[in-house]
Amino acid sequence: MTGKVAIVGAGPSGCYTAQALLKAAPGLEVDVIDALPVPYGLVRYGVAADHQGTKAVSRQFDRIFTRMGGQFFGNLRIGADVSLTDLCGAYDAVVLAAGLSADRPLGLPGDDLPGIIGSARLTRALYEHPDAGPLPDLGAHPVIIGTGNVAIDILRLLVKTPEELAGSDLGPGPSDWLSRQRVERITIVGRSPATAARFDPAMIRELATLSRINASIQPPAQGGAGVEGLLATLAETTSGPLPVEFRFQTTPTAVRRGPGGLLLDVTTPNGAETLSASALLTAIGFASDQALTGEQVADCYHTGWFANGPTGALPRCREEAQALAARILRELAPDPRRPGRRLLQDVPGTVDFAHWQAIDAHEKAVAAPERCRRKLAQRADLLTLPTLQDV
Amino acid sequence: MNIAIFYGTETGNAEMLADDLSTALDEAHETSVSNLSDTAPDALRTADLNIILCSSYGDGDLPASAQPFADRLEAQSPDLGGVRFAIFGLGDREYHATFGSGSMKLADSLIRRGATLIGERVVHDAASGDLPEDMALPWAEDIIAASHHG
Ligand SMILES: Cc1cc2nc3c(=O)[nH]c(=O)nc-3n(C[C@H](O)[C@H](O)[C@H](O)COP(=O)(O)OP(=O)(O)OC[C@H]3O[C@@H](n4cnc5c(N)ncnc54)[C@H](O)[C@@H]3O)c2cc1C
Ligand SMILES: Cc1cc2nc3c(=O)[nH]c(=O)nc-3n(C[C@H](O)[C@H](O)[C@H](O)COP(=O)(O)O)c2cc1C
Repeated sequence: MTGKVAIVGAGPSGCYTAQALLKAAPGLEVDVIDALPVPYGLVRYGVAADHQGTKAVSRQFDRIFTRMGGQFFGNLRIGADVSLTDLCGAYDAVVLAAGLSADRPLGLPGDDLPGIIGSARLTRALYEHPDAGPLPDLGAHPVIIGTGNVAIDILRLLVKTPEELAGSDLGPGPSDWLSRQRVERITIVGRSPATAARFDPAMIRELATLSRINASIQPPAQGGAGVEGLLATLAETTSGPLPVEFRFQTTPTAVRRGPGGLLLDVTTPNGAETLSASALLTAIGFASDQALTGEQVADCYHTGWFANGPTGALPRCREEAQALAARILRELAPDPRRPGRRLLQDVPGTVDFAHWQAIDAHEKAVAAPERCRRKLAQRADLLTLPTLQDV
Repeated sequence: MNIAIFYGTETGNAEMLADDLSTALDEAHETSVSNLSDTAPDALRTADLNIILCSSYGDGDLPASAQPFADRLEAQSPDLGGVRFAIFGLGDREYHATFGSGSMKLADSLIRRGATLIGERVVHDAASGDLPEDMALPWAEDIIAASHHG
């Protein structure tokens, strides 16, 4: 089968879609476009620096471009460098797999106060996304709002010792920042009861292995199966120097300025309460940056976080991408007059997959002994092909 | 030899490894590749040797694509006497307590139904930086050599 498919977003959803399309129909022309100079979206910039095993899916994605005939167009933002209308005119099918990059606001009075830091902003800074801002000081008692895996990722990083970060790709800047923090205790706040927390069991088991953690659960977790049992075990078995309190059934109602930072008003089964926080880290989901809007959006296929909101991990991205690829192959009506990638070839500043391979090799080669990679953090550096002399 | 390769996966690593193994073994053997989600227990009776590649998820559980196969094993309780299989796990040592548990559970339930495990179950560690194909290819060659004699 022939035909031209453009995929906007080289994150896991876009890559799994390209993989499934090319596996079923090797003759297709599949182009994967990303606004960043480097591919793989949140696999590079969201999945935790100390979860390198999870990032290994990028080896599959590499093959889309090295063996399966897909083409990567990096540093090309659809809606800015090329319009969605032009893209739709040039390809037989366009897939929007652009993810979600903004932080979802708390939606409470005071949710715009300084000292509130969204997890998108924080993780981008931690993982050296080229559009990231500076890392903020967290003070002695940061409070994390959210009971999903992203909240645990952030918690784990704050609790780990430098030795426990060995083998990760946490950059020198973020590593220094971490070692400068003087966190004395951490509270994690969530509306749901412990039984409904969305943590993966494995994430809780992992916390139990950290040397500094001293976990407690409010209301006290019951034993038994599932996440609640693991939380109860976590509380029983840890006794390090850093108190980490999980507060379930605790619903934030407002944020106010307080003496040493922020005050978080909450309701609990025992009534209203106010928690003090030196910083408030929200891990309650991502939202659209509104860059891809307009009527053309409805004419495209959608997948991943862009389609569903910020829920679902890699397995779900893959499953949906495979279903979408099957649908595209059923519906594709190729028109040989469409220019396809000729539309993109002359856009100034785009980078290709060989460019990423050079960056990738460079980042691995210059890694410190206790790191597996040293990311180039600045967009300008990501756009300059590293040469062997730099290594 | 006729070799059937099956994979149980969630994020696709086991599927890629299945494709790699098939490509490598195709020179000397006849191979097929199937997802365990589409596999009936009886399908293990077809080839001379079954090679299963299976990751781990959740709390040391089977990956989603192996679960329907395990459910069918449970429901149909087939007698797999005479079936020979080798199994390679994909895991991550960061999950200490349950490293490789998915492939272990699958191996156990096949053995309980009378299938014979050929060679040793080994588990690739995704956090190690080693490539799964570098481990699985020599492992498979050894198993095939051993099963010629057996
Ligand atoms: C902090 C964090 C940790 C996570 N950890 C895990 C984990 O450990 N395991 C797991 O399975 N899942 C994890 N997830 C979930 C996983 O990252 C998502 O399921 C997955 O990345 C969603 O994929 P996507 O392709 O839809 O979006 P993304 O990964 O966000 O990819 C979207 C891509 O589109 C590009 N893009 C956006 N707009 C445009 C445009 N206009 N033009 C061109 N390109 C554009 C972006 O640059 C980006 O590269 C985590 C998520 C987060 C936020
Ligand atoms: C949520 C989650 C839980 C996991 N649990 C385990 C586990 O208990 N034991 C293990 O060895 N590996 C575990 N892993 C690691 C995977 O098995 C490993 O990454 C493997 O390469 C995935 O292969 P697949 O892509 O074929 O599914 C887990 C990974 C994730 C994301």
